[in-house]
Amino acid sequence: MPEEEKDKALVVFDYIYHAMRAKPVLEAAGFKVREVAPPVEYRTGCDLAVEVDATDVDAAENVLIEKGVMILDILFMPKGAKLIPVYLTKLIKTVDYGEYVMVRCGNMKITYKKSNGMIVNISGGGCPDIPFLGMKLYGTIIGEGPRPRALGKTVCAYTLEHAYDKALAIYKKDSGKKGK
Amino acid sequence: MLLLVGTIPIETLPLTYGTVNYQPDKLTIGDYTLEGQYVTLGTAAMISAASATCQALGIPGPNAAVVGDTGMGEGTMKLLRYLTEEIAKLSPSVVTLHYILPTRDPFINFINAAHKMEKRPFLIADAGALLNAKAVKLAPKFDLFTPDPGELSFLADPDAAHPAYVQHFIFDVDQTEVPRLSQEAYAHGDAPQYMIVKAPTDHVIVNGKVVAVIKEPNIPALEPIGGTGDTITGVVSALISSGMDVVEACIAASKINRTAGELARPTPATTIAQFIPFIPEAVKKIIGKK
Repeated sequence: MPEEEKDKALVVFDYIYHAMRAKPVLEAAGFKVREVAPPVEYRTGCDLAVEVDATDVDAAENVLIEKGVMILDILFMPKGAKLIPVYLTKLIKTVDYGEYVMVRCGNMKITYKKSNGMIVNISGGGCPDIPFLGMKLYGTIIGEGPRPRALGKTVCAYTLEHAYDKALAIYKKDSGKKGK
Repeated sequence: MLLLVGTIPIETLPLTYGTVNYQPDKLTIGDYTLEGQYVTLGTAAMISAASATCQALGIPGPNAAVVGDTGMGEGTMKLLRYLTEEIAKLSPSVVTLHYILPTRDPFINFINAAHKMEKRPFLIADAGALLNAKAVKLAPKFDLFTPDPGELSFLADPDAAHPAYVQHFIFDVDQTEVPRLSQEAYAHGDAPQYMIVKAPTDHVIVNGKVVAVIKEPNIPALEPIGGTGDTITGVVSALISSGMDVVEACIAASKINRTAGELARPTPATTIAQFIPFIPEAVKKIIGKK
């Protein structure tokens, strides 16, 4: 029998910087969470909220506060409320340019050199931290340098993290084949 | 006067307004000078491209209002509040909004202030400003958006608050998808009168309908290069501010960007700093002015 749908609560944030950190913090503490778009009245165009079971909300809030993740508000959602999940895993595409591979996730693109894993370009996005991330990631070796999630503060950076993960997985797989 | 607006990810950059002068290794905005890699960083790439285009056209350079912001939004708020208060006095004929952190009230207040001006400026949005305009339902208050295919998918999805939430993402726009998505975005009020959809094949859109398609020269290596969309936005801003017809300017901007790409002979590892110096020559080839 399908599990009965539980009441949900939504944690919303002033800054995406904090929203991006909420999921790993809560998952590490054992909570079941889902990243979703906040309701329309909370949207600005660069938003991420975290959905938790309503029964977990006090404990989850305590964990977030303890770990320095700043919350704007907690909303208790009516049962069956439909929130739009992040579709990023469905939004990935790779393009082979011969010596280089470009991995695209949604509106973000990362390109690295096949022979040594060096990141040569970051493209897409519109939030202020993306050019900053580009500057920090250019010339680094994928998997060895700074990661978008660690430096970024917006949903564009969060999207770029997914492209980075995919690029790293491809690079590792291809390097493994060469090593055999 | 063309006014270019956006953030640059330098925490120490104060709110700065002034005339722009681009040289390949130096970008001056008022009394602030960006050098080295900062000349082509985010909004600076768009500003550099616009300045290079104005130089090639022999018209006065743009003005810019910029501020430091690395993603927390404080710079964005300061910039939008400043412009809300000053826009009537600055009296630009064209305003291009670029990398900003999407916000609600400061953004809405600025757009409303621009609309209250005696002569409303032509409003262009790309990057964060485009995301912001759609999320707060103000797209029809703009005149031109310059989305890439991912951003067009986002505009066409009425429920998406960011491209990360698009339910049917389009990577490879084609002759079917661009007209459909453009029409959908325009029909539900999430697109302005004009758009350039920037992709391996560029499309110029008026009121949700394709009016021009630009395919050549096709330089596949431009797609991975961060900033080649920003340069189209800068070039088209300069052309519109020169008095050129909007559709003509959109077509010319697409051709200029492609021609600059052809001249630069790029690889996927080419940087936007290596690309922008070819814009003046491309402008002269396409527009034919000194």
